[in-house]
This record gives sequence, structure tokens and C-alpha cells, in this order.
Amino acid sequence: MPKLPHRQALPPTLCRSAALITLLALCVTGRAADWELSLDTRLVSSDAGRSFMDGGLGTTRFGHRDSGIQLGRARFALTTSLGDLWSAHFDASAWDDKDRSPVGVTEAYLQFRPYPRAGYRFRLKAGAFYPPISLENRAAGWESPYSLSYSAINTWLGVEVRTIGLEAQLDWLGTRTGHDFDLGLTGGAFAWNEGAGVVLADNGFMLHDRQTPVFGRVGPAGAGALPFQQFDGRAGVYAGVEGRYLDRVVLRVLRYDNRADPTKIDSVSGAIAWNTRFNSAGLRIESGAGWTAILQWLDGETLIAPPGMQLEWPFRAQFALLSKRFGRHTLSARYDRFEVETNVPDGDGWQIGHAFTAAWLFDADAHWRLALEWLRVRSYSYYRTEFAAPALATETQLQLAVRYAFGSGLH
Amino acid sequence: MRPPARVHRGAPGARLLPAALVVAALTRAACVPAATLVISIQSPDGHALAGAVVTARPLDAPGKRPAPVHAVMDQVDRAFAPDLLVIPVGSTVEFPNSDSVSHQIYSFSPTKRFKLPLYRGKPYPPVPFDQAGVVTLGCNIHDDMLAYLVVTDAPWFGRTDKSGAWVADVPRGRYRVSIWHPRMRETEADLERELTVGDADRAELTVHLGKSLLPAPITDRPHSWDY
Repeated sequence: MPKLPHRQALPPTLCRSAALITLLALCVTGRAADWELSLDTRLVSSDAGRSFMDGGLGTTRFGHRDSGIQLGRARFALTTSLGDLWSAHFDASAWDDKDRSPVGVTEAYLQFRPYPRAGYRFRLKAGAFYPPISLENRAAGWESPYSLSYSAINTWLGVEVRTIGLEAQLDWLGTRTGHDFDLGLTGGAFAWNEGAGVVLADNGFMLHDRQTPVFGRVGPAGAGALPFQQFDGRAGVYAGVEGRYLDRVVLRVLRYDNRADPTKIDSVSGAIAWNTRFNSAGLRIESGAGWTAILQWLDGETLIAPPGMQLEWPFRAQFALLSKRFGRHTLSARYDRFEVETNVPDGDGWQIGHAFTAAWLFDADAHWRLALEWLRVRSYSYYRTEFAAPALATETQLQLAVRYAFGSGLH
Repeated sequence: MRPPARVHRGAPGARLLPAALVVAALTRAACVPAATLVISIQSPDGHALAGAVVTARPLDAPGKRPAPVHAVMDQVDRAFAPDLLVIPVGSTVEFPNSDSVSHQIYSFSPTKRFKLPLYRGKPYPPVPFDQAGVVTLGCNIHDDMLAYLVVTDAPWFGRTDKSGAWVADVPRGRYRVSIWHPRMRETEADLERELTVGDADRAELTVHLGKSLLPAPITDRPHSWDY
């Protein structure tokens, strides 16, 4: 099946404007802001197929041609309060992968945060940010404190899913009123989502840490996918519940539907709208002795309906992560399973696989972090045969990372 | 906490006995002689419980209200320091911010509702606490920050030490002793005891908790993580 006409270039005007507006807002208020700068460099050894950033079907961030020294991520983040009840957050990053992506904004939002009342807390977010799904990406910059590469589920969220819109959250703070648990409800409405699903249907699941900038491109210039587009006039929605037991256990369930009209084709670019919907659930358990266990589950489908056909790619993935902190050392192991099915007659996009990740992170001090990660992905992808490669591949990537961070809160 | 009072004893020596009896009688009429009250708390596995709040109220006569104090609860490394204070009714608490980041502390406890934005380097007037009860404190910016203020009208109060004991010199008489700890699972009624401080110099009570404490908050988790 030929590649569908969903990949085209989008001028990054919107992205730049959003960044500029946020920065201006921060400057105008004159409030003291918390900022952070970090630089993450990698020494990579990989035997994986050509990276998705290079237009390939490799399941890891770096392919065999990328072995050597690489820029992991250069990041700048700013958080400031705007008066008592509002705050602004801005997160920009630069990478140096084959896609030659310039500096991109991964998150930029305003948050309204009134004081809790009578045991209830309400919060409102507006801008571009991650919906509350991942229990793994809990560190600054939506990074994982357990490994360099994210799980298959959260890698996909980083590539194609972002709320560009509004999110409201209402929490009942039981732990502040003599109980041992809290409960929360979240609801979001968003636009610029019609491209979400195309990378899953094309490349399938991957395990890496390349977050797509808001309004950014996935893959090489001219051929990359654009997840953040709006041309069908319909907003997407999600709703979720969260339960917490003290500060030990978090349980999250969320339903997501971008409500894209799969028959819509952008008359200017020829891009097609991808209707993507999924259910997700996650459980994180932490102990006082430094143990963390995370389970996440994702089940959904993405579909398009160009004239005369309806093409569907149901997908599901799960992972289990176990981690232990020993002082400044963190040892983690994760097992991922993932699968994309399809009703496309020649099976294009069909993928099944699993992955093992082992990582050691050492936080030398507030500034320096050293990380070593071994990742092995074994996957079967029908698309590979179209590039005269075997459908079944075992890919191994070894990364050594050194990160230096400094900022107003790091001493 | 009251300063330790001397235990009144009959003076030794037969020749002084009549005089001593007179002094003792006069003393008894003026004020009831004190004895040492020791409250010990043990968890279900037999370990001493340190840091629990103990209050003692006389049942026979209203005790003297404790004098208000001026206490300080600082913000250090994105945590309340200390994370529990016991203060008499009418006391004031100052909330400075030693962190480089801002905090917004709040309480919606019925005992005292307040909110206080703490920007770095900007002092705020102390907060008065005029009603007895437990005040739960949080920070609207850092969701994992948690602290407690126990405001009490009991004449005798304090916290158990490392050996799980609280010691006070109190006048003889009947008392209601109450115990509180943020992580205890027992009901308030289960944690109240009545006892008589009688003729002996020392009255002791050991409270065995029926339920184990809730797990303590995780403290070594980096503050930058969501929790």
C-alpha cells in the first residue's frame, strides 16, 4: 500500500507564536521565576534498524548508523507564578537527530490553581501539555527517572499525544481530612490532534525518549508525520479518574478520543484525519525502602476513512517496571509488550513485539547524572519486508548518558 | 510544657514530725502536692512510639490554662520544619520561608482556616490559633508538603520521646489522657484513658496500640518528581 497523503510540511508559526507569547508574559510580570537548563550527551552503541527520525522502521531512537556520540537533549524550562493563583510553565528542547528538528516547545501552559476549600481542590490548565496518563514520566521535562528510553506506551504518548487545549481537575483531598486516600477527576478538551495515530500505523510502537515538539514533525523534513494538526473542526476529549493511597499508591484510568472525522482530508495539504481513541490504566506502588513498581496498560484503535474504504489499526501495549533506589543509585528493569493489528488487506502496519530494558542511573549531585541503559527490542513488522528487510528483527541499543543541569532550584 | 515541680514529701525525723504534719496539712490545703505522670505508648509489635502527642486534663478541678507561646514553622527544602507542633490555645505561629522557591500554605481544617502565600524573603505576620483542635497544613504549589499543628487547651501536654514516653509532674487527682499521632488508625475514643494520680510519687500508664501506624511519608523522593 502506498504511503497515505498525511505527511506534509507545516510552517511552525503557531509554535513560535505560542513560545513568544509565553516568554513575553513571563517577562512582563517580573515575578521571580524558577528556571532550569540541562544538557544530556550520549555515547551510543546500536545494531538497530534505521531510526524513525531518519525515515526508517527501527524501534529504538538510535540505529546502527548512529553509534557514537549523540546529543540526548538540551533543555530549557521556566516556571513562574503570575499573581497568587496563576502560574506559567514553558519547556523547550533541542535535539540533534537525523530529523534535523530545530528547537521545539514540548509543553507551554498556564495553570489556574486556587487554594483548596473544604477538602476539595480545583485546577485548570490551558495551553499545550501532557494528559495525565504516564506514571513513568514523572521527572522534570516529562522524563523518566527510571531509564533513558520510555516504555512503548509512553514513547507513543511523547510522539503523538499532547493536549493542546484545556484540562480541568477536581480532587477530593482525603489525606488532608483524616482519611488515608485521595480521589481525583480529570477532563480535557483539545484541538490540533488529527494527525495522532499515523506514526503508530506506520512505524508501530517504539521505545525512545524523543518527544515531538508542539506542532512539530516526526521524522525527516519533507517526509515526516505531523501529529498536531486541525482541519476537521472537531475537538477531542478525555476523561479520567485517579485514586491515591497516602503517597504510596496511584491508580489512574483514562478514556481518550480525539473525535477526528476520519473522512476529512485537508484540501490544502492533502492530509487525512486520523480518528484515535483509547483506554489507558496505570498503577504505581512505592515503598519506603526505595522500591517502585509501575504497571501501565493501553488499548485502542486509530482509523481513517478515505473515500470508499475504512482502514483500522487496533493497538494495545502493556509494561511492568520494577525499580529500586539505593541512595544516589537507581536500578530499574522493565518489560514491554506491544501489538498493532490492521484490517488493511496487505497487512501494512501490522506489528507485534516485546522489549527488555535495564538501566542504572547515578545522581552524583544536584547537577550531574550518569546513566547506563541496555535495551533489547524483538519485533515483527510487516512494513520491513517492503524495504527488503526481514520482518522479524532483534534490535539492541546500549547508551551511556552524562547530563549536567543547573537552575534556580538546583543547589 | 510546665517546669518540673518538686514532689512534696513529709520531712524526715521523729522530732520534726508534728511540725511536718502541720506544714504538710497547710500545703495540702494551699495546693495539691505533685506526682510524676509517665505515659508510654507502644505499637502493636511492642516498639516504643516516639513523637506522639499526649495531653492530660484534670477531671476534678479545671486546670490552669497553659500560657500561649510564639512558635515557628519554617519551610526548608520543600518541607515544613518541624512537621508537627503542639501549641496552647491563643498561641501564634510564624511561617518563614527559608527556601529559594515560593510556597502557598493553607489549611481548610475547621479549627483554623487560612491561606498564606510565602514568597522568598518576604516576612508575614504570625498566625494566631484561638481554637483547640488539629490543623492540617499543605502547600498549594508542592502537593506532597504536609504538616500538623495540634492546638490544645489541656494544662499538660507534650510529645513522647525516643523511648516512647512522656513525663510530667502533675497535681494528684483524676485525669483524662488523650493521645494523637497523624498516622494512628484508632478512633479518638480508643486513644483516651482515665487514670488517677494517687498517693504514690509516680503514676504510670502504658498505652498499647491495637493497630499499626500508617506508613510514614516517603522522604527521599526527589522533590521535582510528581508524586
